Amino acid sequence: MYSLVRNELLKIVRKKRILVVAGIIAILVGMFTYAQWKELDRRLERFGDVDWRTTLQQQIIDAQNRITSSGISDEWKSQLQLRIQQQQYYLDHNVNPVEPGAPTFMRTFADHSITLFLPLMVMVVAADIVSSERSAGTIKLLLTRPVKRWKILMSKYLALLLSISIIVVLFGLLSYLISGIVFGYQGWSAPVIIGFSAEGIELNTNAVQLIPQWQYLLMEFSLVWFVALVVGSIAFMLSVLIKNTPAGMGVMLAALISGAILSNMVSSWESAKYLFMINLDLTAYLAGKAPPIEGMSLGFSLIVLTLWGLAALAVSFIVFTRQDIY
Amino acid sequence: MKQGSVRFVFIFSLLSMALMLFGLGWTIQNQFFSGDAGSSRMEEVEPAGEAATSIKGKFVVALGDSLTRGTGDDSGKGYIGYLVEELQMKTEEKITLQNFGVKGYRSGQLLNQIQQAEIQRQVKNADYILITIGGNDLFQGGQTLLEMNSEKITQARKAYLDNLQKILKGLRSLNEGAVIFHIGLYNPFIDLNDSALTTQIVRDWNHETSRLLDQDQKAIYVPTFDLFQLSVNDYLYSDKFHPNAEGYKLIAERVASLITW
Repeated sequence: MYSLVRNELLKIVRKKRILVVAGIIAILVGMFTYAQWKELDRRLERFGDVDWRTTLQQQIIDAQNRITSSGISDEWKSQLQLRIQQQQYYLDHNVNPVEPGAPTFMRTFADHSITLFLPLMVMVVAADIVSSERSAGTIKLLLTRPVKRWKILMSKYLALLLSISIIVVLFGLLSYLISGIVFGYQGWSAPVIIGFSAEGIELNTNAVQLIPQWQYLLMEFSLVWFVALVVGSIAFMLSVLIKNTPAGMGVMLAALISGAILSNMVSSWESAKYLFMINLDLTAYLAGKAPPIEGMSLGFSLIVLTLWGLAALAVSFIVFTRQDIY
Repeated sequence: MKQGSVRFVFIFSLLSMALMLFGLGWTIQNQFFSGDAGSSRMEEVEPAGEAATSIKGKFVVALGDSLTRGTGDDSGKGYIGYLVEELQMKTEEKITLQNFGVKGYRSGQLLNQIQQAEIQRQVKNADYILITIGGNDLFQGGQTLLEMNSEKITQARKAYLDNLQKILKGLRSLNEGAVIFHIGLYNPFIDLNDSALTTQIVRDWNHETSRLLDQDQKAIYVPTFDLFQLSVNDYLYSDKFHPNAEGYKLIAERVASLITW
């Protein structure tokens, strides 16, 4: 088994997939770092001192102003209201929600990447992991070996798991190292407040706790990893089911993008909460944002995602072991 | 290279996976099984750091409603924006502005706002405090004019004056030296029916406000009624309530002429 997994990993490394992903991440991090740095610069010019409290207060005022405009939807309004209360809480407790530094950059970047960008990166590796062997015909060579079919598929899956782990950790490392050039490498122990929960438009602060940022990052990245895993499993299934790699990728892409769009307008379609792509934004629960559909929680999303992942795996194995290969 | 790099990738990925698994376990433990989380609970409010940031130049704090925010001005500056621009031409010093105006604010809400720690911190640093408040107390989105109930208006005015008094007191207790400008109301409905009546109401309102401000030496009432009196429609935005850019410029000019160093 070990040598099988190793062999599969070798294929992934040979195809330079991980390098490509690392390259894309590095470029994006560079771009975002630059953009954020520019933004800071502009703020410095406009407001003089960049005391975070000043900035935060201004954000609160801005949101308060946006709430009063009439064209705004009810969901957006309640989200803004929650955000205001949260920011006010940070302000009242004198905790900077965005302590400058590379760890904070990592935190926000992961927050924004969990639903779309990282799943896409996972797809780069996962989408053709089985189907490419089909189209290249190498699958026949692979299956003529005296190894059970499920073992072959299992080795591919394990190799995928390993590459996903690498991608997530690389994602963290690269964003830390690159953004640190501009923002500095400090800020691991900066306090972060977690445990906000939304009750309608009221913010519940009963379970609030203060943790150092490194703990938050660990939690956040493990959730990112979990999401990547589930997305990887589903892409894996598609790769088994659909012989044509681009078609499989298309299906996966459509699912991911529809998830990103749906989350913004799905609040009245309640059963949508059982779709995996609505549940991808796990880090939002940590940060205490309002969920896209009333009644969703971290536990709920974790269970839904686990079920989807397991189902995808089951389908992959059942289909692969029974399929005619020609 | 191949053998070595694969081994490296293999080990690295195993470590990554272990780390992530550990993190996931921790997250689940923290989120679902930590009970009352004892030690890591948030301790009560530590007083916000005083550290009065030393600001170079003049510091202007603007408080109030949509006029402060600049509603109706296409460029979004509002009278505050034009005022700062104008002052900036008069002086070499850097003028820093903090605008805390919120659309639709009434005097009661403003009173609540100045209880907030961060607002108070900014007020302490201010050289000039500009306030527009009262328009929503009086007009209440046009409701007042439909009813024209003089009793209700008197009631609203009383509550407003009460709040304004507290606001002034609050600001003064934070900052003794700052000059406070209160921008008076104009009558946006002067072109409509009943203009005699609405004008009367606004004048009374302004008069009372002005009298209240007289209690404080460094509080200045800035009238705007006359600015909009003759050609009100030229200076109003299409909602016929807020000033447009020209209207805001008029207000800004007036305030600018009052500020001297």
